[in-house]
Amino acid sequence: MARILLKNVTKKFGEVTAVKNLNLEIKDGEFMVLLGPSGCGKSTTLRMIAGLETPTEGEIWIGDSIVNDVDPTKRNVAMVFQSYALYPHMTVFGNIEFPLKMSGVPKEERAKKVKEVAEFLGIDALLNRKPSELSGGQQQRVALARALVREPQVFLLDEPLSNLDAKIRTQMRFELKKLLSYELGITTVYVTHDQVEAMTMADRIAVMNKGILQQVGTPDEIFYRPKNTFVATFVGSPPMNLIEGEIIDKDGKTVFETEHFSMELPKDVPHGNVILGFRPQHVQISPQPAEGFIKGELLGVEKLGVENFGHVGYGNTEIVIRLPEDIKTTRGEIYWRPEENRIYLFDPNTRETVYG
Amino acid sequence: MTPKEKEKLVKTIWKVITYVVLITFALVYLMPFIRSLVASFMTWAQASHYPPQWIPHPFTLENYEKLFRLELFPRWIRNTALYAGLIIAGNIVFSSMAGYAFARLEFPGRDAIFSAMLSLLMIPMFVTLVPNYIIIYKLGLIDNIFGLALLGLVNVSSIFLMKQYFVSLSDEIFEAARLDGCGPIKAFFYIALPLAKPALGAVAVYQFLGSWNAFIGPLIFLRSPENFTLPVGLSFAFQRSMWTEYTPIIAGSLVASAPTIILFLVLNKYLIRGIVITGGKG
Repeated sequence: MARILLKNVTKKFGEVTAVKNLNLEIKDGEFMVLLGPSGCGKSTTLRMIAGLETPTEGEIWIGDSIVNDVDPTKRNVAMVFQSYALYPHMTVFGNIEFPLKMSGVPKEERAKKVKEVAEFLGIDALLNRKPSELSGGQQQRVALARALVREPQVFLLDEPLSNLDAKIRTQMRFELKKLLSYELGITTVYVTHDQVEAMTMADRIAVMNKGILQQVGTPDEIFYRPKNTFVATFVGSPPMNLIEGEIIDKDGKTVFETEHFSMELPKDVPHGNVILGFRPQHVQISPQPAEGFIKGELLGVEKLGVENFGHVGYGNTEIVIRLPEDIKTTRGEIYWRPEENRIYLFDPNTRETVYG
Repeated sequence: MTPKEKEKLVKTIWKVITYVVLITFALVYLMPFIRSLVASFMTWAQASHYPPQWIPHPFTLENYEKLFRLELFPRWIRNTALYAGLIIAGNIVFSSMAGYAFARLEFPGRDAIFSAMLSLLMIPMFVTLVPNYIIIYKLGLIDNIFGLALLGLVNVSSIFLMKQYFVSLSDEIFEAARLDGCGPIKAFFYIALPLAKPALGAVAVYQFLGSWNAFIGPLIFLRSPENFTLPVGLSFAFQRSMWTEYTPIIAGSLVASAPTIILFLVLNKYLIRGIVITGGKG
């Protein structure tokens, strides 16, 4: 059991700064997801916790000690790699047994532990097979078993689901969460670029971009209270609509004006140049002209089964709005407005949230 | 003619050209071997006849009989096998360790040392022959198979092949091993070495071919006939003061090449893999 603390951690590869002045605490037993696009520094952060990379500056704590100079062989952290990194020349039994063998556990105890963990993960029938004879999902379980068998203090996973096909991925997503959080309660750091994985599995999410931590919070906080336009657009699908414009007072009303349309906003919003943001799901639709609704030209509709998303064009910009399930038209005029209490305003310079 | 037929015709013509060129080259390469095979059943008079004759007449087994009458022939085979065995063992042990170090460990000057080592490939063996001779002489190992083998225990091309192979293995496997508690030495024995079997096979085959057929080295470092290897022994046995009896040597070379041919047939996938490894990455 251990918490992880990253204090002012910076990692440079030559001229490139992969992680910049990162401060993050992962509480004991917490399931923390590092989320971000590729190259954002999330994997580097994970590898620094594992000890596979040494931070250029800053301190990494696991439990009560600084581990900057502790070799990965002695950190008691386990990691599941994207490729699973199973040892191809060993059987499943050999793979799971390996970390125990390396730490000098006696043979009988090893066999017992391997059997236990294999049964726990439902792979006890595969113990004599080679990794090449297993399906992706089975290899994944073996990699998990190998990591779990030594009862690590900290569990690290680097995009563990991205090599699986969509159906198994969804299933493993919940299984992993159940296993690591509910059954074992191990401190877990999970790296992914998939916001759905992050939202469904995390106790807290740390969103990173270009080596800089953008926001840390529960999935709800990240989704409903994004700190800046990056978090707002990275999380949520389709991404949040962002429209630049100006907020002014006009005829006693507070109005958001753009080149193409204007809309009324609540009185308490900050005035001046802003970026208006709203999620495609948080709009009202009307097929006919209506009071307060904005006219738009529907360019096309993406039908995703339950949800339909319409693309509406205004000059060079396009916004995406959710349409009612039973919508018939796919082109032509449409009327919409964002739900008043679900809008966000961002400062156009700092791109930080100023309202919402 | 429709464009489709035309395309087909062009394809066929190219195929024919390709085959003709390949068969020609194959024949050019095979010719000496076929010539040896035929000549080994000829008398010396016929074999040296000009223009060359291709049908042995009279057909004779005399050359092979002469060969097997040689008292030292079994001994030479044994010496050659011992020499090849030592070379293969040495190369497997040392090149796998060196290759692993160059590929997977980080130490100051690693790349510089590796480049320096590679540049040795450009030095012809005759340049180092005399210094090597002096070293082996000072060690008192002239006319000794072990002394001769000492010079070939490590080989730059073997190290290069092993290094390329270890580089081609996935980093994640070694990182996983590290997190599982493997230091560099344990990772070598438990992970790298078992995974390197194909590359070790390639090294073994190449070194076998090289040492089994070696001539210059054994000729210079060995003195007494009972210590000779097969290639040197054969040329020694049939060299007269004024002339050389080539037909028994040819017969002997054919007998000597039998193991290499068998080895090639059995292990040619390793040879090809060796080429793929060194040519593939890096």
